Amino acid sequence: MESISDNALMLKVKEGDLDKLGLLFERHKKVLFGFFYNMSHNAELSEDLVQNVFVRILKYKHSFKGDGQFKTWMFHISRNVNNDHYRKNKLGETDDIEDWQDRLGDKDADRAEKQEEDIRLLKRAMERLDQEKREILTLSKLEGMKYKEIGDVLSCSEGAVKVKVFRALKDLKKIYQVLHTQVYG
Amino acid sequence: MDNEKAKELMLKYNSGELLGSEEERLLEEYIEQGIIQIEELSDLDQLKKGVAKIETPAPSDQLNAGFYKMLGEEKAMASKSFNLNEVINGWIERLGLSKGFVRLAYSLTLIIGGLAVGFLMNQGKTKEIQTLSAEMKEMREMMMLTLLEKESISDRLRAVSMTDEVGVNEKVVEALLQTLNNDDNVNVRLATIEGLYQYADNPKVREGLIQAITHQDSPLVQMALAEVMVALQEKRSVDELKEILKKENTPQEVKDKIEESIETLI
Repeated sequence: MESISDNALMLKVKEGDLDKLGLLFERHKKVLFGFFYNMSHNAELSEDLVQNVFVRILKYKHSFKGDGQFKTWMFHISRNVNNDHYRKNKLGETDDIEDWQDRLGDKDADRAEKQEEDIRLLKRAMERLDQEKREILTLSKLEGMKYKEIGDVLSCSEGAVKVKVFRALKDLKKIYQVLHTQVYG
Repeated sequence: MDNEKAKELMLKYNSGELLGSEEERLLEEYIEQGIIQIEELSDLDQLKKGVAKIETPAPSDQLNAGFYKMLGEEKAMASKSFNLNEVINGWIERLGLSKGFVRLAYSLTLIIGGLAVGFLMNQGKTKEIQTLSAEMKEMREMMMLTLLEKESISDRLRAVSMTDEVGVNEKVVEALLQTLNNDDNVNVRLATIEGLYQYADNPKVREGLIQAITHQDSPLVQMALAEVMVALQEKRSVDELKEILKKENTPQEVKDKIEESIETLI
């Protein structure tokens, strides 16, 4: 099935067969959307950024050599797209914990939703994590992304990725505990 | 030795005891070396699972619409301003030619090209050339269709490999699908899948590939089709794939592969 590998398709795109980009888009749109969504928790913005990635893939198609994995190259571009977006918009945390408590108020009574609330709180904690750490946790939760592949994307070893994940989780735990105390007392 | 130390450290961490800075450093080292897995640290494992549970919604149709609009515009632009430079640079890169040689060849090509165009224009042959190339294409197509009917396996493989040159039209698609569903040889069928896959954006090809799933008895072909369906994210194939699972004579590894594909598709 060599002829249908991502690399083979991208090399065709590079040669000018732009239709093949459609196949690459179909294969990867979900995981890319997942990446941007987990970074921003904004579906509309994530769709725009996925599109930006493919615009850049077309723009820089000549720099694709085909010696590494297409997925790694695509995630390099995606990280740049993401960083550029954050640099341009300097997104800060806007959602105050007080608002969060208000929203939680009604639902708190319902114990069945407790677990769901925990996940939402965790999502909130993720948003407060610094960008680099949020990125490593996001990459490691994406379907089919192994530590080794994340290492390729970040240009570091598999072991270094594990340590980064470990540190990010430790930070996330701290933030989560602070939020938990603020919300539930 | 290391393992025992690591185990002790892990137990200490999992009991909730605070680690000293030296122990913290050691813990990171064990994680880096793969002696301790993050999943073995109960609080972080739970947290990691929680992060995995944060749902990601499916992208809306707007994403597809936006992408295909962009692709359409790019294609229109590419066909308007066919970039001769890029093509030539590509050739140079592939052939590893020196710059001096390229310049000389470029000038010669321009001169010869100019002369040729002038000559042909004078002769009013442009139309003839177009007709000729259309005829050539037709001939190749005919040759391909004839080879597909041959008894020799290598002839049929050759025919399938011509898909690239011939492109697809209704007749070719029909012949290839016929081969995919009825050819006795597994290699020919596998090559046909590869040939058709390149044209999967054609709805008839897509539909044909889905329909072919239930016609196949060979595990190799079944798995190749499952792989193609995943690559195309073709959800409509799930029913056909389930049909294979139901068959008693389907080998277990094929079933595993198909189940995996179905999971990815759903």
